[in-house]
Amino acid sequence: MEKTKLISRPVNWNKIEDSVDLDVWNRLTQNFWLPEKVPLSNDVQSWGTLRPHEQKLTMHVFTGLTMLDTIQGTVGAMSLMPDARTQHEEAVITNIAFMESVHAKSYSSVFSTLCSTTEIEEAFRWSEDNPYLQKKAEIVLGYYNGDDPLKRKVASTLLESFLFYSGFYLPMYWSSRAKLTNTADLIRLIIRDEAIHGYYIGYKFQLGYNEASKERQEELRSYTYDLLLELYENEVKYTADLYDEIGLTHDVKQFLHYNGNKALMNLGFDPLFPKDDAEVSPAILSALSPASDENHDFFSGSGSSYVIGKHEATTDDDWDF
Amino acid sequence: MANSVVEVADDNGNVVSTKGVESALSYQDLNAMINLWGNDQKLQLEKDKLAVRKYFLEHVNQNTVFFHSLKERLDYLVENEYYEKEILDKYSFEFITKLNDLAYSKKFRFEAFMGAFKFYTGYALKTFDGERYLERFEDRVVMVALTLAEGVEETAISLVEEIISGRFQPATPTFLNCGKKQRGEFVSCFLLRIEDNMESISRGINSALQLSKRGGGVALSLSNIREYGAPIKKIEGQSSGIIPVMKLLEDSFSYANQLGARQGAGAVYLNAHHPDIMRFLDTKRENADEKIRIKTLSIGVVLPDITMMLAKDNEDMYLFSPYDVEKVYGVPFGDISVTEKYYEMVDEPRIRKSKIKARDLLQKIAELQFESGYPYVMYEDTVNNANPIQGRINMSNLCSEILQVNTPTTYNADLSYDQIGKDISCNLGSLNIAKAMDGPDFGKTIEASIRALTAVSDQSNIESVRSISDGNHKSHAIGLGQMNLHGYLAREQIHYGSDEGLDFTNMYFYTVNYHAISASNKIAKERKQTFDNFENSKYATGEYFDKYTEQTWAPATPKVKELFKKAGVAIPTQEDWAELKKSVMKHGIYNQNLQAVPPTGSISYINNSTSSIHPIASRIEVRKEGKLGRVYYPAPYLSEETWEYYEDAYEIGPDKIIDTYAAATQHVDQGLSLTLFFKDTATTRDVNRAQINAWRKGIKTIYYIRIRQAALEGTEVENCVSCML
Repeated sequence: MEKTKLISRPVNWNKIEDSVDLDVWNRLTQNFWLPEKVPLSNDVQSWGTLRPHEQKLTMHVFTGLTMLDTIQGTVGAMSLMPDARTQHEEAVITNIAFMESVHAKSYSSVFSTLCSTTEIEEAFRWSEDNPYLQKKAEIVLGYYNGDDPLKRKVASTLLESFLFYSGFYLPMYWSSRAKLTNTADLIRLIIRDEAIHGYYIGYKFQLGYNEASKERQEELRSYTYDLLLELYENEVKYTADLYDEIGLTHDVKQFLHYNGNKALMNLGFDPLFPKDDAEVSPAILSALSPASDENHDFFSGSGSSYVIGKHEATTDDDWDF
Repeated sequence: MANSVVEVADDNGNVVSTKGVESALSYQDLNAMINLWGNDQKLQLEKDKLAVRKYFLEHVNQNTVFFHSLKERLDYLVENEYYEKEILDKYSFEFITKLNDLAYSKKFRFEAFMGAFKFYTGYALKTFDGERYLERFEDRVVMVALTLAEGVEETAISLVEEIISGRFQPATPTFLNCGKKQRGEFVSCFLLRIEDNMESISRGINSALQLSKRGGGVALSLSNIREYGAPIKKIEGQSSGIIPVMKLLEDSFSYANQLGARQGAGAVYLNAHHPDIMRFLDTKRENADEKIRIKTLSIGVVLPDITMMLAKDNEDMYLFSPYDVEKVYGVPFGDISVTEKYYEMVDEPRIRKSKIKARDLLQKIAELQFESGYPYVMYEDTVNNANPIQGRINMSNLCSEILQVNTPTTYNADLSYDQIGKDISCNLGSLNIAKAMDGPDFGKTIEASIRALTAVSDQSNIESVRSISDGNHKSHAIGLGQMNLHGYLAREQIHYGSDEGLDFTNMYFYTVNYHAISASNKIAKERKQTFDNFENSKYATGEYFDKYTEQTWAPATPKVKELFKKAGVAIPTQEDWAELKKSVMKHGIYNQNLQAVPPTGSISYINNSTSSIHPIASRIEVRKEGKLGRVYYPAPYLSEETWEYYEDAYEIGPDKIIDTYAAATQHVDQGLSLTLFFKDTATTRDVNRAQINAWRKGIKTIYYIRIRQAALEGTEVENCVSCML
């Protein structure tokens, strides 16, 4: 799909071409948050109860996530910009890019609250040396730098809806064991965002896909499955590298299957992994729920349920008594 | 001693053998499954029962210290300083055995995994290394009863009966700490005044540390403290106002926790007409600067009628310098009725003032409630008009249900006390409405509860904060609360907030009030003692009883009439009240305050209730607590039949909640924690409307505002029950 350079034109939010843009924009801005809002320091005690190898695993997982968010914030989301179908989509993408940077920074907040500088530096060094993590970045970056807009969207959706989850598993696992529950709140805020990002980019992909010719559709379809499998192969190794020691590799893989299917659904494709291989432990699945129905009180953390309200002045009628 | 280990295994044998797959799942997984639809698209509530069994089999039983006999157990616990010897010594061993047998004969079982998990993680006595359990639920109940009965066997028996049956449940600090040698206090809740001087501020911080170390939530009133820019020693522009005090308090609370059991928690209240009010609210802003950002301290606004009247006319409201007000009137700002003195203060040239738009303030409050759930709101004049006790109520507590009078403390130059004023503590316990209605003797249940709470007050002596201990010794204030209203209504197939729902709430609280006052009157008679300054209360003049003796209260709907009849709960008549009035005027009552309806978090899970008297937040509640992680809790009595009566709070909306609370409020001398629930389609205007409505209906306080955001379509977790709207 070619796009000629348009005359500069101010974005008009009073003329919406695609109502999904507005819905997603509203949702994203309503969901705006900063890591400072989560009282991470309440996890310091709990962090101390993790064994050394569990702490190390947690740090590695989080550096891995930081890496992905860095890519998505600085390259990924921005690379989608030239292909935007509407100006409102451009606006949404800027928000996505910014929030990815907020996510990347959040992990640093977790680190600085829970760990020492030496530990943090070790973890970052690890991320530079880990072949699977590097490979993962390489694959995704390769497609972002490619010249096919729809393929870029596929790569982006797979990153948002699939690649993150080998990392998200761990904080959800800890929180289901009553560990690092405030960190889990923060991760849940990130998941809440990523769920929308993946959904939105996938949706935009589908619009382009549906307009394409049969042959082109077939090409995109097989490309998607190939890429997913390529990423999956690497992801399995990455997962084993991280989780073997603690014995969770199998569970994480099930979780990857579940999310791989979910990513395909976001792109409008059929699931790849059989249902039985995508059975996620119910505790993890329930912990993922992005709805803000969680209940908590002042003795607990602030929860992952928080929205910015719409302001509206009262009128004299409201005060008529 | 009944051996429940074997029984659980027996129960379990039948089920697990038929469902081999489930045995591979952990209890966390089984519990989480109730939040997911089954393959047949039905609720999997039975999975939660399996989770309970599994939890006992795999965790509790394996980690419980075994004793051959009760004697061996008690000796061990006393010798190793787990139990307090003095408490057991008040009874014969034969009696303790009998009480223990009584408790175990009731065959108590946890209905929900959440309840069992909460009890064992949060309440049961553990070995000092924290590894193994030394108590089961029955043991805890017996120890609580022995502690609170103070050697009176009959009382101990009735307390075991009331608690193990689930009719009465003491609040967390009482239930957690009774009988333990290493323990915090039995009292949950403290309220402190701070005056406009450094001695009082530093004493306030000291007290906050001491009290939260002992496990209470502490609220402090900041209304009296001079504002930002006020003079110090007549030099203008010196004071930095209340924000730095809030920072100090916040840090104090996060430092002190109850033996690590839970974080200290605190709240601060400020009068809406304090000049720092806007700054006060901005501390809760999401993007506030770190220096002024308040994360974990709760905040509350004291809202007088005049603010509402000014907002009605869309006028400016004046804010008054507490420093000047105290100079002019000779009493602290918080002890003045702003509504009464408003125009006088506006015209008083010696009082510095600034102005803001009243509606702007209320809108700002609503905005913040969206962002953070805070501030709490206390309708100051409503509270004081309903107060039967002499004096002024200028603040509430961390859960906004305690409403009592206080007086200031003054200090000497060496920081010792000059005049010890009266600060507030309150110990709480709640009735399970459904169980209380099911019970054999409603009046007796309430009397036993009032006596238990009174015992807590008698046994409490917070020496480190004299204004609290003095206040407690004078007032013997207690707060009998209620929970499981929605559970009861759903079970009886009544919609929350319907005519029948409101009718029941009204008649229930009416009846409770009668028995609560009767019980306190009975104690006063026995001990020949009333609370301090009873003679100047509206109880002494009889005025309090007018609303009961001058009109008849009776159920308005046949259904509610039938419910009371079926339960065998007699509704007090006008003559009953006249009789009670006579007795109270003659003998007095022992407790200055009797009822307060708390939000009931943890204890309602253990008790398998819906919390407090508000509607459920969700049919399957997702609960996160510092110590627990995510746990799922199904509404009690949830089934296909009760499903439709369990509309959640967001569906029910604020108006019905307000009506329900209004029906209860008229019979409660203190407050009721009222949370309002909105969908995310609501705007600040909807929140403001609800606040206006609440104020007009005579609601005393508003606790949290909760906003529910539904998952964006396409992003939900597949098959998630709590995602379903």
